[in-house]
Amino acid sequence: MRKSLWAILIMSFIAFTLAGCATTRDLEKVQAQEKQTSAKAEQALQAAQDAQAAATAAKVDTAAQLEQANAAAMKAADAAARAENALKMAEERAKMAEERAKMAEEKTAAAEEKAEKADVIFRKSMKK
Amino acid sequence: MRYIMTSDRGGSVRKRCPARQYDGKLYEKMISDFSDDNKMFFLTPGRISARIFASDRRPLFFAFVLFTFLYGCALPRNAPVEPFPAPRRPEPKIEQKKAPEEKPLEENIERNDFPVAKEDDVVGRLAAVRIEKGDTLPDISRHFSLGIDAVRAANPVMDIWAPEAGKQAVLPLSFILPDVQRKGIVINLAAMRLFQFKEDGNSLSVTTYPIGVGTEERPSPTGQMYIERKMYRPTWYVPASIADDHRKRGDPLPPIVPPGPMNPLGEYALYLNKSSYLIHGTNKPYSIGLRATNGCIRLYPEDIRKLYESTPVKTPVLIVNQPYLIGHRDGMIYMEVHLTPAELDAEAFDKVYAKLKYLDRKRDRRIDWKAVKRVLAEARGIPVPIGGGQKQSGKDMAGIVELKRPDKFYGKPEIPEWQIEGWYILAADLRNEKDAAKLAAVINHQGPHIPARVLSKTDSHRVIAGPFNNLNEARQAAKRLKIDLEIEGILMEPARK
Repeated sequence: MRKSLWAILIMSFIAFTLAGCATTRDLEKVQAQEKQTSAKAEQALQAAQDAQAAATAAKVDTAAQLEQANAAAMKAADAAARAENALKMAEERAKMAEERAKMAEEKTAAAEEKAEKADVIFRKSMKK
Repeated sequence: MRYIMTSDRGGSVRKRCPARQYDGKLYEKMISDFSDDNKMFFLTPGRISARIFASDRRPLFFAFVLFTFLYGCALPRNAPVEPFPAPRRPEPKIEQKKAPEEKPLEENIERNDFPVAKEDDVVGRLAAVRIEKGDTLPDISRHFSLGIDAVRAANPVMDIWAPEAGKQAVLPLSFILPDVQRKGIVINLAAMRLFQFKEDGNSLSVTTYPIGVGTEERPSPTGQMYIERKMYRPTWYVPASIADDHRKRGDPLPPIVPPGPMNPLGEYALYLNKSSYLIHGTNKPYSIGLRATNGCIRLYPEDIRKLYESTPVKTPVLIVNQPYLIGHRDGMIYMEVHLTPAELDAEAFDKVYAKLKYLDRKRDRRIDWKAVKRVLAEARGIPVPIGGGQKQSGKDMAGIVELKRPDKFYGKPEIPEWQIEGWYILAADLRNEKDAAKLAAVINHQGPHIPARVLSKTDSHRVIAGPFNNLNEARQAAKRLKIDLEIEGILMEPARK
């Protein structure tokens, strides 16, 4: 009996031991699960990092785009201002040209008048 | 016979060379060139045949021939070949086109005396002379015995006092004779010309001079007159009307002006039978061709002398006013107009229009009315063909004679050298150089002569009249400048008394 008890005990012990302790397969399983978990974690981390990087990049892009847009807007504004300025200057130039033409006309008229006057005076001076 | 084979841009050339070139050093050089495997072969026909046919080089030769045949003689192209004289080709005879021979310019042209053909009414030729810097139309007018207004009308765009250098001034030395009997003296007031007809047997000639005539206020008389008397160095008895005018201008005249430079009659006078009217010279030669007299007829001093000498007392003088003249020459009909459309003389125009209509009705003498219209509009005072012949109508400048420019224009006022002891008048200080030059020219052409020049600084051009011998002369000149030209001159004392 004792023997059988022992046997039972041993068996039980063995059974409990065996039941209580993880088997290699379990270990492997656990290990595999652990690995999986860690891999997932790593993946998640990576994804998070990527997302962060992407977010940062996106931020940078947006900033650059903003900057570009700003620059473009400034350029456009500058160009518009320049165009306006050019238009103004052209107008001024046209005005000046008109004034010059007027002055030239006046000068010509004055010269003609002067010449006519000189002619009249010369003719008068030729009288007795 | 020897041959040289040389390359010539990829093709074989066989040049026959003169034997003398194979002698001496040149020959040896060629041999050495050949032996050095240079890019030249120097062979004789004997050697060629011996080398080729008496040896085992036939295949090589044939290969060479084949190669050459197929490829052309591919001898090196850049062989340093001594330049052999290429066979001389007769140089092509290029007939060099001869430059069109420039017509030599005529030095002289008849200005006053012309023969008159029975059927013709047009005398003289149009001419042109090149302008140079400093020339004025009054100087050109006087030199060619023309009136100032006539030259101005012929050159409507030219500045009378500063014509552009390099341009050609047209000289209206062609005239349509007035439509009157050709006898004695005929004066056409509109053309401002005097015609003196001379008959010699069957031939008729005319001498013509430009004249100065009366103003609109005091026009010259028209009608038949004659020379009553002649006078050398006449005295001028100033008419009351002229004395009045002068007094009003602040320039009172003495009742009698003796002969001399201040006498406006000049040196010669022909008295007309119509009281107070004379044909005379002048002390203002640049008034000829202007309407500037009190009714008298003025001539250049050089012309009045000739007229005076060739005109006897009792010579008939017919004064007419014909602004529109029609004349014939060599079958052509010419028209000369002296009034612009603005100055239209309706009565005279109606007469000339009727004449043109009459001529147009004649089958052989069609009038080119377009040309008539143009002549009337331009009023250049020169005869222009308007129909009746082969010559193209309206081409007034065809056959114009280009004259050599004289070294000096006759009568051109001379300016004495600057004198330190002389008195001067500062007539004007102007910014424009051209204006200053014109003013100086106007002063220079006064009668009696007042010399004037332009002294230029960087930004001003001073017109200085003078030199005058003393203060009195300077004052007299200043007074004349003021009265005649409205110039307030400033007297300048001599720099060294």
